[in-house]
Amino acid sequence: MTVSRVQSGSPPRGNAAYQQLVAERNRFTLIMSVTFLVLYFLLPIMAGYNKPLMATKVFGNVTFGYVFAFAEFAMGWIMAAIYVVRARQFDRLAREAQL
Amino acid sequence: MTFLLAALIVAITLGITFWASKRNTSASDFYVAGGRISATQNGIAIAGDYMSAASFLGITGLIALNGYDGFMYSVGWFIAYLTVLFIVAEPLRNLGKYTLADMLVYRLRDPRVRTYAAISTIVVSAFYMIAQVVGAGSLISLLSGGVLKASVAIPLVGVLMIIYVVVGGMLATTWVQIVKAALLMFATVVMTVLILNRFGWSFSNLLGAAEAKNGADFLGAGLKYKNPIDLISLSLALVLGTAGLPHILMRFYTVPTAQDARKSVVWAMVLIGAFYVMTAFMGNAANVLVGKGAITEANAAGNMAAPLLAQALFGGAGTLGGEFGLAFVTAVAFATILAVVAGLTIAASTSFTHDIYNGVIKHGQAGEAEQFRVARLATVAVGIIAILLGLLAQSQNVAFLVALAFAIAASANLPVILFTLFWRRFNATGAIWGIVGGILTCLALIAVSPNIMGIDPPEKTTGRHPIQAAPLFGLENPGIISIPAGFLFAALGTMVGASRRNEGAEQAFEEMQFRAYTGAGTDGTVAAHD
Repeated sequence: MTVSRVQSGSPPRGNAAYQQLVAERNRFTLIMSVTFLVLYFLLPIMAGYNKPLMATKVFGNVTFGYVFAFAEFAMGWIMAAIYVVRARQFDRLAREAQL
Repeated sequence: MTFLLAALIVAITLGITFWASKRNTSASDFYVAGGRISATQNGIAIAGDYMSAASFLGITGLIALNGYDGFMYSVGWFIAYLTVLFIVAEPLRNLGKYTLADMLVYRLRDPRVRTYAAISTIVVSAFYMIAQVVGAGSLISLLSGGVLKASVAIPLVGVLMIIYVVVGGMLATTWVQIVKAALLMFATVVMTVLILNRFGWSFSNLLGAAEAKNGADFLGAGLKYKNPIDLISLSLALVLGTAGLPHILMRFYTVPTAQDARKSVVWAMVLIGAFYVMTAFMGNAANVLVGKGAITEANAAGNMAAPLLAQALFGGAGTLGGEFGLAFVTAVAFATILAVVAGLTIAASTSFTHDIYNGVIKHGQAGEAEQFRVARLATVAVGIIAILLGLLAQSQNVAFLVALAFAIAASANLPVILFTLFWRRFNATGAIWGIVGGILTCLALIAVSPNIMGIDPPEKTTGRHPIQAAPLFGLENPGIISIPAGFLFAALGTMVGASRRNEGAEQAFEEMQFRAYTGAGTDGTVAAHD
């Protein structure tokens, strides 16, 4: 089966909006992905190698490990929100690139 | 009472299915609901697809038995959606039509890739599905007090899910997911409120009670995962596997645009995140209010912790409230399994019909009516195979099957998706090597891991390892080796394939990138026909 080809032809090489979109989007994806992977993997790495710290109580009986794990959820939601805001700018560039 | 509630839920979902069947007229309707699902609906359905029995029953049980280590699953499965959101959701929506293979073939211009992508989809779906079907079987047999054996319960679940998919297609499957996600969230919120009410609205008090009962170890890491590498390997598979799960990827084809795909993921992240945060409350409360002894007595793996917790929260065993709580949560768990299995079935049967039957056997020449008929037949076949494999695997540990599905998805599908999107020189040989190498490395490592190999003490008769010998590979999850191996195979294959004639490959990359980033030629029309 052949998948339908792009209707609007080949990508315009000289299209400034498109060049900007590709460069910005790739840079953003790379930075965000590396950031969240590093922050996320700190959790299993510390859960594996620094058990005393993870078991330290910070508020009442709530341990550092639980605070850290809940912070990961907050990080997930915040990074998703940042992405949504940034993606709206990409959407604008994408519309310009198609003109 | 359990049966009455379960029957009510089944009746509602069957009603949805017959309603949807009137709107199913083409192959596109069947595969992806004609690409007309809204972003909000799709987000709830993604959450529904994801919050499977492994999440609801499994994680609650893992936390109840192992404390903090069980919560690591919740964090990993949630964070996985950042990978989906940042990298795969929007380009996939822009490039594909029905399946992952559409996107790979669009970029790599080689029909062989379609076959391998379809095989990978079917393998991952099968492992995931067997786990769900086996889980359903043990849940039903436990709750009927052994009246309904797993060998009866497994075919029952299989037949119901075949009806949902054959009759209602993707539209019914989506709505069954939405209803199920709403029921599951409702049950979880009610239980969490009751828990907080018991413990003075303080998570600290709850942890204090768990500590008093189990000792300080329970609040810290390391009860389940003694070897840090084991935990890291599992985390890798969880966080990278989701972006390669066929039934999740397929959900992006049910919405009209990339913007809707993005909104769906954000909706799913809100729901899934809230749900997984609450597992920390449910798991610890199950430990305190039900107790490890009673939980493992009902099911050694802890799968009954959530229903037993509901019983305790609503008044305890023998009271009307307690029995209602138990029945309600069990019925919700049953609906959960049915819905997830339906989602997996549609992914597997779409991949077979669209990619293998129409794409490879018929060279894209099969008509709408023919595809529709084959898709329904494939669903029945997939369902029967799932029932048979489920019956064979009924005494196996189901958690390892789910983790295996994630590991295969991360090792075979993710490297190929990433290279397709971002590597100009990537080619069809690389894709085939990546898929085959990823799957085989994963399966080989699992076969010699403690999941399969191990020496049981002679007095143990249940849960024996299939191979009685010391494991050759020490980790339960192969992710830390098999995921890099998948990338390596894909890269090596690309080098090997580069020696062949490969004209137009760079232009294909440019074209793909333009379409992936701008949505050119795809806005709202991608679900239309070729």
